[in-house]
Amino acid sequence: MLWMTMGSLNAAHAEQQDVLKQLGSRVEQHAVLRADFTQTKQMAALKRPLITSGKLLYSKVHGVVWQITKPYPITYILSEDKVIEVSADGYRKERSVKDIPGFAQISRIFKAMLSGDVNALNAYFESKVFENTVQAEPNQTAWQLQLTPKQTQTSRFIQEIVVTGDQFVTSIHIHEPNAASTAILFSNTEAAPTLRDAELALFRGK
Amino acid sequence: MKLLSPERLKLHAFIWLVLAAMSVVSCIAQFSNQSPLQTNLLALLPKTERNVVAEEAVTQLVNSAGNRVLFLVGASSQEVAITAAHSFANQLRALNKSSGQPAMFKQVFLEVPALDTNQIADFYAPYRYRLLTHEDYKGLSDGPLHLNDQLQQKLYAPFRFGLALPVEQDPFGFADRWFAHLPLKNFKLEFENGLLVGHSADKTWVFVSVDPEGSAYSDVTQDQVMHAITTAESSLKQAHPGVELLRAGAVFYASKARQSAEKEMHIIGLVSLSGMLVLLYLMFRSIRPLVLGFLSVGFGICTALAATIYYYGEIHLITLVFGASLIGEAIDYAIQYFSAHLGAGKDWDPVSGLRRVSPALMLALTTSVLGYCVLAFMPFPALTQIAFFAIIGLVAAWLSVYLLLPATLMQPNSHPPEAAVDIPQRFLNIWQRYMTKRSCVMIVLAVLVISVPGLFKLKGNDDIRLLVTQPPELVAQEASIRQITGMSNQHQFFLVEGETTEQLLMHEEVLTQQLDQLVARGELAAYSAISTFVPSESQQRKHQAAWQANVFKHSTLLKETLAEAGLRDDIAGALQNDFQHSNKNLNVDDWLKTSFSTPFRHLWLGKTQQGHYASIVLLQGISNPQLLARWADDQNINAVTYVDKAQSVSTLFHTYRLWSAVWLVCAIVLIYGVLSFRYGPRVGLVVLLPTLLGIMFTLGLFGYLHIPLSFFHMMGFMLVLGIGVNYSIFMREGIMVDVKTHQAALLAGVLLSAGTMLLSYGMLILSEMPVLSSFGLTMLMGVGFAALLSLMVLSVER
Repeated sequence: MLWMTMGSLNAAHAEQQDVLKQLGSRVEQHAVLRADFTQTKQMAALKRPLITSGKLLYSKVHGVVWQITKPYPITYILSEDKVIEVSADGYRKERSVKDIPGFAQISRIFKAMLSGDVNALNAYFESKVFENTVQAEPNQTAWQLQLTPKQTQTSRFIQEIVVTGDQFVTSIHIHEPNAASTAILFSNTEAAPTLRDAELALFRGK
Repeated sequence: MKLLSPERLKLHAFIWLVLAAMSVVSCIAQFSNQSPLQTNLLALLPKTERNVVAEEAVTQLVNSAGNRVLFLVGASSQEVAITAAHSFANQLRALNKSSGQPAMFKQVFLEVPALDTNQIADFYAPYRYRLLTHEDYKGLSDGPLHLNDQLQQKLYAPFRFGLALPVEQDPFGFADRWFAHLPLKNFKLEFENGLLVGHSADKTWVFVSVDPEGSAYSDVTQDQVMHAITTAESSLKQAHPGVELLRAGAVFYASKARQSAEKEMHIIGLVSLSGMLVLLYLMFRSIRPLVLGFLSVGFGICTALAATIYYYGEIHLITLVFGASLIGEAIDYAIQYFSAHLGAGKDWDPVSGLRRVSPALMLALTTSVLGYCVLAFMPFPALTQIAFFAIIGLVAAWLSVYLLLPATLMQPNSHPPEAAVDIPQRFLNIWQRYMTKRSCVMIVLAVLVISVPGLFKLKGNDDIRLLVTQPPELVAQEASIRQITGMSNQHQFFLVEGETTEQLLMHEEVLTQQLDQLVARGELAAYSAISTFVPSESQQRKHQAAWQANVFKHSTLLKETLAEAGLRDDIAGALQNDFQHSNKNLNVDDWLKTSFSTPFRHLWLGKTQQGHYASIVLLQGISNPQLLARWADDQNINAVTYVDKAQSVSTLFHTYRLWSAVWLVCAIVLIYGVLSFRYGPRVGLVVLLPTLLGIMFTLGLFGYLHIPLSFFHMMGFMLVLGIGVNYSIFMREGIMVDVKTHQAALLAGVLLSAGTMLLSYGMLILSEMPVLSSFGLTMLMGVGFAALLSLMVLSVER
């Protein structure tokens, strides 16, 4: 992919803020997003990268369903106040937000990344924006957001996050301090105004 | 009694003067030192716990957290809330330094060091083969079959949350799950930008707290802390107009209680005193009785104050407010003497006048002191102090009549007695003509018929909150803080003991296993226990054995499982090596040294004076305290005691309420004994009857009005008995005198006494302290009815 930087590294702070604001208003905040994902995880402990793929369901109101289908089916449901793990045999394990230190933040960051919510991300990260107008489609600007944690608490887990997108988020690269990294690519993204009944049932539980 | 010479009377007055000067000097000396005023209502409670260690634990808990002052600084924008919280905390810190005196706050707490998850993980990592959750231990004991699933879950999770060890250290996530079960976060507050932040519907709140150096119940601390907070609050409101400040802390309640008690003491004292003076003046039309009455009551109160502080080292707020209302009873003796003076007219002789009222005064004092003695034997420090105060005060006031009044009231009354007692005289005539014995019997029957059905509607109230004044705005703020932070103000806990640390932890584990079931059933939100952070060594050995038997014994399987998931080949060997070299158990001492154990250290009581080890298991979010108490009773776990101070106090109130009824009956029998000794059994009963009916009528009314009866109402009845009987005695002694004008004067005296009494006790109804207002209501109604009904004594022949 070719990136033509419009907002440069040396750009004045005010200008950056301006671009950020524009980007914030341009990446439309959809109520519901559905997409396919492929995640590539690299860790010192692994001989080869670990590749998983599956489906993402994002709801602005209810949370996120991260459904891994390959190589091993397992679903994570991330709602406002709890995280539910559903294994292949349908066994649900719930954990409440209030039991997990820092969970509320991680959950908020994850949701903001998936939906490209720049304003929400700004609370936790210093961000830099790079933009590129695609000639063929003048209305469609591709963008790249480079995030570094503001708080030392977050920087223990995350060194840097790079989010790319156009109308939707297309990829997320997470770099961890110990040479580990995670790359998530999204495809077939579609937006919808509301959840389907079956999807809603996932959040509500059985 | 031999007639005393005027010189002798003057000597008596001189003795009185010396005594009075002594008690005044003593009072001034005691109050000019450190204020001996005790405002902690709970300090008046007797020890409720049979277990000495439990009582110590309660005290320690209250001392560690009870003084803390909590604030939430709230604004609609998070940025404003954070800036405002910073300036509020900085202002408090500046005030703390600039006060010039020793620091008033131990610390002002705003910035929180981030919960260092790495530090926790590093501390526990060497012990990870000894730490398993119950579920994992069970799963692992079933065999190594699930390991593959658990490995996959650890690898595939889209994000890490909470504490976690790297895959190569904890491939199956056992340590991660054990970390997750640690109660590191029980509150709804979140850690953001170095502060603790909470959210409500429309506002962001930042948490600030302050630890005062002194006790919340010391008036020096109260004044300093309240002043600092008010100053900081007003500059906060100026700099950030939209910002809201919520507060909670014992110091606010205590200072409010002290303020209102002081205000009440002034008002009650002032109104009852001035009301009394007006009544006295209306009756005697002379300044002299006013001054003398004031002096003899003042002497009584002053002596009581001096003696109480001398004996107890401090005086409680309740005693002081009660003391202010004792004026009404203390003045009765002087009034009787003045009445005799009024009735005697020109024939007045101070000593024979004294002789005339002496039996009545003696009898009245005896019955009152008997009543207060019964009160003194209540196993309740507050009441013992009140009784002590009252007995000293009454005896001193009574003594004043003998020492001071005869010397100062030598001259006969200048007014003709017939004119002065004209109204009571006429009343007396009418009463004695129309109110026959038969009509009195009718009155008795009527009172019985009206009150008895009410008695069956009576309900009890033994709530501990009776002891505490609860200003609604403070209660509301505290409720909001609880809602936003998720903190509870429940103080129920289990005390666990053991001969050794290991035994203590094992006892805790037996308990927590039971508690887990309560949590699962939703009857309990959470608990915190040391053994959650540091399992007993026997648990640790069990867990390690499970690892050995089901994982490391099958080294080939382990190797294969890890390889299949794509982990490096050397990891299996490294794990095996790690496991073999981990042979140290996790112990409490090491854990206590870590910084992350700080919020939980109060759970560890350590070695007790009895040479045992003790700890606390603190409970949060109890859905039904009564149910839990019953459950705790049923468990009967070895070396585990359930402690619920509030419930213990309520139980105590309940017991005392029932016992005080028994005491009341005893006191009635005692007083009846004294009365029969003087008047014979029949008239004795007549003298007692108005008070008994007054008590019954009041109880009946409480029943009809749905006023639940508390222990403090019962205490009121105890005094109604003592005082009500006084009136009947004065009436009876009055009509035993031959001269009609004397009779009328003494009747007028009784009416005056009752008037002053109702004035002073009636004022207590207005008290914000539930204890005092229920006490006052009982007194007002009981004494009022007893005084009215005591007129029946007039219908009995001499």
